[in-house]
Amino acid sequence: MTDPLLEARDLRKSYDEGRIEALRGVDLSIAAGSFLAISGASGSGKSTLLQLLGGLDSPSSGQVLFQNAELGSSIDLDTYRSRHVGFIFQAFYLLPTLSAIENVQVPMLAVNDGANNRAQRAEGLLCEMGLENRMNQYPNELSAGERQRVAIARALANNPAVLLADEPTGNLDSANSARIMQILIGIQQQRGMTLVVVTHEEEIARSAPRHIRLRDGKIES
Amino acid sequence: MYERSGTDIAVVQKTFLNTSVDESLGAKLQALPAVAKATPMILNMMDLTPEINALIYGWKADSYELDSLTLKSGRRFVDGQPEVMLGDLLAGNLGKKAGDTLEIQGSAFLVTGIYHGGSALEAGAVIMPLGELQQIASLQGKVTAFHVRLRPAPTGELPEHYMERAQAQIEAALPGLRAVPAAQRASNNQLVVLAHAAAWGTSSIALLIGILGIANTMAMSVLERTREIGILRALGWKRWRVLLLIQLEAAVLGFAGGILGIVIGLGFLRSLALLPQTSSIASPSFSPLLLAEALGIAVLAGLAAGAIPAWRDARLLPVEALRHD
Repeated sequence: MTDPLLEARDLRKSYDEGRIEALRGVDLSIAAGSFLAISGASGSGKSTLLQLLGGLDSPSSGQVLFQNAELGSSIDLDTYRSRHVGFIFQAFYLLPTLSAIENVQVPMLAVNDGANNRAQRAEGLLCEMGLENRMNQYPNELSAGERQRVAIARALANNPAVLLADEPTGNLDSANSARIMQILIGIQQQRGMTLVVVTHEEEIARSAPRHIRLRDGKIES
Repeated sequence: MYERSGTDIAVVQKTFLNTSVDESLGAKLQALPAVAKATPMILNMMDLTPEINALIYGWKADSYELDSLTLKSGRRFVDGQPEVMLGDLLAGNLGKKAGDTLEIQGSAFLVTGIYHGGSALEAGAVIMPLGELQQIASLQGKVTAFHVRLRPAPTGELPEHYMERAQAQIEAALPGLRAVPAAQRASNNQLVVLAHAAAWGTSSIALLIGILGIANTMAMSVLERTREIGILRALGWKRWRVLLLIQLEAAVLGFAGGILGIVIGLGFLRSLALLPQTSSIASPSFSPLLLAEALGIAVLAGLAAGAIPAWRDARLLPVEALRHD
């Protein structure tokens, strides 16, 4: 059996001096190039798990390993986030003062890409998302679906190994939801990327080859 | 002014700065071996009109100090005559030119000439014959100080040593008086010290208010953008890069504030220079060095004010910053 790309070992996260336990010992292995959906009720800990897998937060105990290197000790979290993972959020989190093409270039600044290279790659990614005519628009001039496509282009900016999507369709209508999921699955299949999607929509969860359900901070199934 | 006229030493009262030095001591002073020239003078302040007051100097017509002035029009005054010379700033404010008359203390004085003053204090002053000033101020036989030009230092003697020796010689010959090196006298002058203290006091308060203003603006700006900072951190930006971004913004804010402050300050100063009440002390010009200093202070204030909120936000975990409303 090949080594997992991403792994969680007895992952625990608590808040409020331990009074609130968001994760209560999660063990999880994610193979390279796989598509995993994580579902669960609100407050089940699914977003917390994604944040820990993405190095946005640190666990109270337990480990997250990327290519067998522990996050935060063997691999620096900033480097991990900038080079190995791409995030897609429910609220898009685009920078409002930057145009679509500038937003896509923001992660490239973290790895010190040259200006010409940045612009070219950002343009290519936005074209891939069907936004060739919307590159110079600001987030408030874009529809919700377009914003999420810009966010996907941004997540792909540094060609990461893992795409982590937290309720990527949560703010979209059904037509746009279907399109976004189609894009994400297309990327995962064509580029061989690892895709982890957190969702509360059963239909999306069922579309993944592997699906885990969280309940009260533990994997239920 | 002292430097330009070539005055080396001012001889004044030991304790009080007032016009109570006996004029007749001038001869004794002039006879000292180190003294090349000693000239008596009076410095006073007078109301020329209900709105305009000015420094008024009483000099002898043969005072070497007159040689340092540049006459723009007219001629010098003559001793014993009711005549005055006006600094160009004051002449402009009074609307006087050479040949006009100026009333001082109820007496009419002929304006014989207009001179160019290097500083606002000189340009806004009146110079008149010593005897005339003594008469209208009821100070017959009294002067404020003697200004002394020394003979060249003997070969081989250090200038500082020669100055000390001349001071000692003067003070020994004129008990009760003090011989102060001109440079020290200029910086120790009560009026100058007071003016500097007031200027520094108000500048410090203005600077403090400015720093607090920038600090508040930066704190609000960074607070409002905590989520944006969280996005940058989530996308892999390192702490130092986020800090740099915030500090650059703070520096730009400080620079822009500095430029705005200079423009407003210059406008305000020009207004003061136009007002009769303040025109004799307000000079509407800035030196480039002062502008550079002001901008430097503004940028540093911006950086100092931005440092704390920048450091606080850069330390947040991305997930904490993203949760911020």
